[in-house]
Amino acid sequence: MANPLLEVKDLDVSYGDIHVLWDVSLSVEEGTIVALVGANGAGKTTLLKTVSGLMHARKGEITLSGEPIQHLRAQEIVDRGVIHVPEGRRLFASLTVMENLRLGAYLPRTRPLFAESLERVFSLFPVLKDRKEQKAGTLSGGEQQMLAIGRAVMAHPRLVMLDEPSLGLSPILVKTIFQLISTLNEQKTTILLVEQNVNQALKIAHQAYVLKNGKIVMCGRGCDLLVNEEVCKAYIGERARKPNG
Amino acid sequence: MDSFQAVLIAQTIVNGILLGTMYGMAAIGLSLIFGTMRIVFIAQGSVLVFFAYLCFWLFKLAGIDPYLSIIIIIPGAMVLGAVLYYGLFKEAAALQDRISSLLIAVGLMFILENFMTVVWTPNPRSVVTSYGFASFTVLGIHLTLNRLLGLGIAILATIGVFLFLKKTVIGTAVRATSEDVEASTLMGINPNRVNAVAFAIGMALAAISGINVASTYSFDPVYGFDVAIKALFALTLGGIGTIYGALAGGIIIGLVEMLGAYFVGGGWTQAILFAFFLVALTFRPQGFFGRTGQKA
Repeated sequence: MANPLLEVKDLDVSYGDIHVLWDVSLSVEEGTIVALVGANGAGKTTLLKTVSGLMHARKGEITLSGEPIQHLRAQEIVDRGVIHVPEGRRLFASLTVMENLRLGAYLPRTRPLFAESLERVFSLFPVLKDRKEQKAGTLSGGEQQMLAIGRAVMAHPRLVMLDEPSLGLSPILVKTIFQLISTLNEQKTTILLVEQNVNQALKIAHQAYVLKNGKIVMCGRGCDLLVNEEVCKAYIGERARKPNG
Repeated sequence: MDSFQAVLIAQTIVNGILLGTMYGMAAIGLSLIFGTMRIVFIAQGSVLVFFAYLCFWLFKLAGIDPYLSIIIIIPGAMVLGAVLYYGLFKEAAALQDRISSLLIAVGLMFILENFMTVVWTPNPRSVVTSYGFASFTVLGIHLTLNRLLGLGIAILATIGVFLFLKKTVIGTAVRATSEDVEASTLMGINPNRVNAVAFAIGMALAAISGINVASTYSFDPVYGFDVAIKALFALTLGGIGTIYGALAGGIIIGLVEMLGAYFVGGGWTQAILFAFFLVALTFRPQGFFGRTGQKA
C-alpha cells in the first residue's frame, strides 16, 4: 500500500521538563477524516502544534507522503500543504474578511490559484462573500469559524488540521460546521480533526484515535469507537448510545 | 492680548506642528517595529541623526542638495534596515524573552552616538541651502521653505506607509503579524521577513526625518536620544497600532514642547513635556487614538 499522507511515529514531546506526548503514533490516509479525541489536557493540541512546526519533538518522526517534515520550520510545513487551524480560530480581528483570506493564500505556491480557491471558499461559505469587507472581529462565532476554515482552504491544502472547530458554538452551528467539514472532505481534502465533541467527531470520522494522558490508548474506525463501551463511558455519556440519541 | 502676541502664538503653533511631524514620523517607525517584534527600538532617534549627518556630508563634500539626496538615502536606509535586522536582531527575535533584543537596540544607540561623535565631532551641525530659509508671510505667520517642504514630505511619507500596509500583501502580513505572531506563522508568513520589512520602513522614515532635521534644525550626535524618547511619548499618546495616531501623537508632543517654551520659558520644556505626558496617560492609559483590544 502507498504511504499514508501523514504519518506520526513514536513521537515524544515536552514543554521544558513536562513530558506531554509519549510514543504517539498515528496515520492519516489520503482523502479521509481522522478524529483525535480525548479529555482536556490529553495532548491533542500539542500534537497538532508539533505537526505544524510550532513545537518540536524530542524524539520520533513525522512524515508527509513518506518525507520527514519534523525538522522543518512552520512556514515550510505550510508550504507543503499542511494547514493548521488553531484552537480559538485566531483570526486577524482588525483585518477584513477578504484580507484574512488573502493571507491564507500568502505563499507563492498558492497565489496562482487565488481566484479558484476564493470561489471554493465562497461556495462553501456564502455568508463570507456578503461579509467580505467587514472586519473579522465583528463576525459572529460561527462566521468566524467559517472564516478560519476558509482561510485554510485558500492555502490549497493537502491536509487540514482543525483544532476544536465546534468550541463555543451553539448546537445548531455545531451541526452546520460538522456538515461543512464533511463537505470539505468530499471535495478531496484530507482532515485531521481534534474535538471535545466526541460524539459528532466520531460520526463523521473514518478513523479515530483516543488520546489519554499523552498516549494513544485506542484506535479504530469512527463508527466502531462510537459504540465502544469504554469510549462512551469516558467521553460521550449514556444518552448518545441509544439509537436516535 | 494684542495682535502682535496673537501672531507670535500662531507662529509657535505652526512651529510646534512642524517639529511634531518629525517626532510623529519617528513614532511611526517605532510603532511598526514594536508591532512585529515587540521591542522599543530605542536607537531610532540616533539612526535619524546618523542620516542627518549623511545628508550633511553629501551636501558639504559632494554638493548634493539635501532634498535630492532623498533619492540616494532612502533606498540606502531600507537596505541598512534589513541588514541591521538580519545581522543584529534575527537570533534574538526568535527568543521568547525580549530583553536581549532591547539591549541590542540600546547598544546600537550608544555605538552610533560614539561613532558620530568621533567622526563628526560633538559640535552642532546644520545644512544651510541657498533657498531653504526663503520665507513667506501668511496672515502674519512667518514660514520658511525648508519647513514647508519638510511638512509636505512627512505627509507624503505617512500616506505612503499607510498605502503600503493597506494595499500590498506583505504590508497586510505586517499588520497580521502585529496582531498575532503565531497565527501569522501558520499562514506561512516568515517572521524574519516581516521584521526585516518593518525595520526597512522604520529606517526609511528615520532617513526622511533625518534629512528634514538636517535642513531645518541644528543637530549633534546625542540629539537622537531626545528624539527617540519624544517619539516614544508620541507613540504612547497616539495609541499603539495606528499610523495616524502616531503622527497625531507626535504633533501633540511638538505643540506642547513649543507652547511650553513660549509661555513658561525654554528651560522648562522637558519638565512640562513629562508632566503633560504623565497626566495624559493617567486619564487615557490606552492613548488617544489606539485600538481597543478587540480579539477574534
